[in-house]
Amino acid sequence: MIRIPPYLQPEDTIGIVCPAGYMTLEKAQTAIDRLKEWGYKIKIGKTLGSNSANYFSGTDDERLNDFQQMLNDDEVKAIFCARGGYGIGRIIEQIDFGKFKQNPKWVIGFSDVTVLHSHIHSNYKTATLHAHMASAFNDEGYKNEFVQSVKDVLEGKKIKYECAIGELNRKGEAVGELVGGNLSLLVHLVGSSSDIKTKGKILFLEDVGEYLYNIDRMFYQLKRSGKLDRLAGLIVGGFTEMKDTERPFGKTVYEIIHDMVKEFDYPVCFGFPVSHGKENYALKVGAGYKLKVGKKRVTLEE
Amino acid sequence: MNRKKFLSSIIASSAAIPALGSQNVFEEDESSKPILIPKYLKPGDIIGITCPAGFITDKEIQSAVQQMQNWGFNIKIGDTVNKRDFTFGGTDEERTKDFQQMLDDDSVKAIVCARGGYGSVRIIDKLNFAKFERRPKWIIGFSDITVIHSHLNRNFNIASVHSKMCNSFPDDWNNAEQIQIDSILSIKKALTGEKMKYDVGAGANNKEGIAEGQLIGGNLKTIESLTGSRSDIKTAGKILFVEDTGEYLYSIDRMFWNLKRTDKLSHLKGLIIGGFKAKPDDPGEEFGKTLYDIVLEKIKEYDYPVCFDFPVGHQKSNFALKCGVKHKLTIQADSVTLIEIR
Repeated sequence: MIRIPPYLQPEDTIGIVCPAGYMTLEKAQTAIDRLKEWGYKIKIGKTLGSNSANYFSGTDDERLNDFQQMLNDDEVKAIFCARGGYGIGRIIEQIDFGKFKQNPKWVIGFSDVTVLHSHIHSNYKTATLHAHMASAFNDEGYKNEFVQSVKDVLEGKKIKYECAIGELNRKGEAVGELVGGNLSLLVHLVGSSSDIKTKGKILFLEDVGEYLYNIDRMFYQLKRSGKLDRLAGLIVGGFTEMKDTERPFGKTVYEIIHDMVKEFDYPVCFGFPVSHGKENYALKVGAGYKLKVGKKRVTLEE
Repeated sequence: MNRKKFLSSIIASSAAIPALGSQNVFEEDESSKPILIPKYLKPGDIIGITCPAGFITDKEIQSAVQQMQNWGFNIKIGDTVNKRDFTFGGTDEERTKDFQQMLDDDSVKAIVCARGGYGSVRIIDKLNFAKFERRPKWIIGFSDITVIHSHLNRNFNIASVHSKMCNSFPDDWNNAEQIQIDSILSIKKALTGEKMKYDVGAGANNKEGIAEGQLIGGNLKTIESLTGSRSDIKTAGKILFVEDTGEYLYSIDRMFWNLKRTDKLSHLKGLIIGGFKAKPDDPGEEFGKTLYDIVLEKIKEYDYPVCFDFPVGHQKSNFALKCGVKHKLTIQADSVTLIEIR
């Protein structure tokens, strides 16, 4: 059975870290202000707005220590990753989840943070939160329903998401644990100790900036590693900024995915608001959900 | 492919597998047994040309055809040459059929893949290797063809040749660079049974030592994309070579983490790093580590020899390497040699 970390109470502390790419404090300021306005105290980790000169927000040791400190700090009730990028895979095996196991807390983010979601799901059976990070709060983004869904989930509200019908949807109902995240990261983790099992689960996927042929190849990897054949359901999110080769691939990204799962009979929905774009609802990885893909609407509820 | 066919092909190819989905399901592993070496080619033998991945025109294979004819071989051009389905050399069915025919035709003694691109993984599970297993023949190519090399090594324990393909033969042999000519000629040497021996320059970042083991490897991105599948390679006790092109340094880093975290680096005999023409970092996103840093930090706890800049990859110097065949790698301060062991 999956464990759900305690939902947040007013005055609880949220720790903010950058476990992967670098981010200035200014870029995260709106998110910090809003999280405070939502009623939380904020603890800013050393890796946010650090003096790192390269891609990363700090050395592996610095990023590891910052994250570890937030994990071990009993006062911190949730860890908000300010941005993704690349870098969690470099430190994941060194993170000590001993204390987290006793006192689980929410780990929030997406993209590269998929490494944490998968690792925690597979090894510690604890729910995490796949959701927008700091930059989504900027330019009044905090007003939209997608950023607001982070607030709702952290408060423990049960949300029922609804989204538009996708042309290639396959109707049906599925009940199961929700797992998934960024496709590139999920395939990258295949065969490692952070790899997820998908049997009987609802899988959600999104990606950004990939070549179509590479999306095809990644789906072949999912399929050939046995991750697509026994799903309860599949949620296809946004696949944004897709690129094509000089010699066109000849299919849209949704056609690629549709063809890949046509031999199975579980429900599939396309265009669910989980993505690198604005449309990105907060989803509890590991929690039980019911997916209904109908003729007129698609719903996902806990 | 319909559901039933898919399931039966899975069952047929992986009998006695209790459950799909976990990482150790593909336990049936041929790679620890002695390798099967296909028959070397003799003058007059037929080489088949096919496109399991990207498309190519008749014209683009002409210089390869002529050159291989000059070497004394006859050429059979597959139906997929000059065929095109968007980026592919024909539909999946057409590419499968052409490759299958080359596999099953007893008169074809070797199969040269016309080019890489993308697409081998789309047909690999549809190919029937039963006849090939009884009568192995050389399969030649690299890049996307790493799918086939890996699949053969893992499932059938049959050697294959990692080398340039038809699209890399120089149009004007007389004006080609010597290194390109030597790379192409190494294919002939490999196919005719010459013992392979490479003597390449020393590198300041190399780790010295001597290793003996089966040579295995190919395109890193492709190797990563096969992880968890029945074409996934086993590397324990082997000499691994990897190359890639056009990837960001962060992506190369992530791929080496994949090798490490899937236990492919811990029990190697030796490691050969080929060409890695990395894509320059985007402004403001400087990765801060070189390829040498990326590789060496992953293997710092191991003591096997490692060499960099070996002439294998998406570049003019890309010498034929016999996958699956035992080699001796000797890395010294002033030299690097890779010699086939018979």
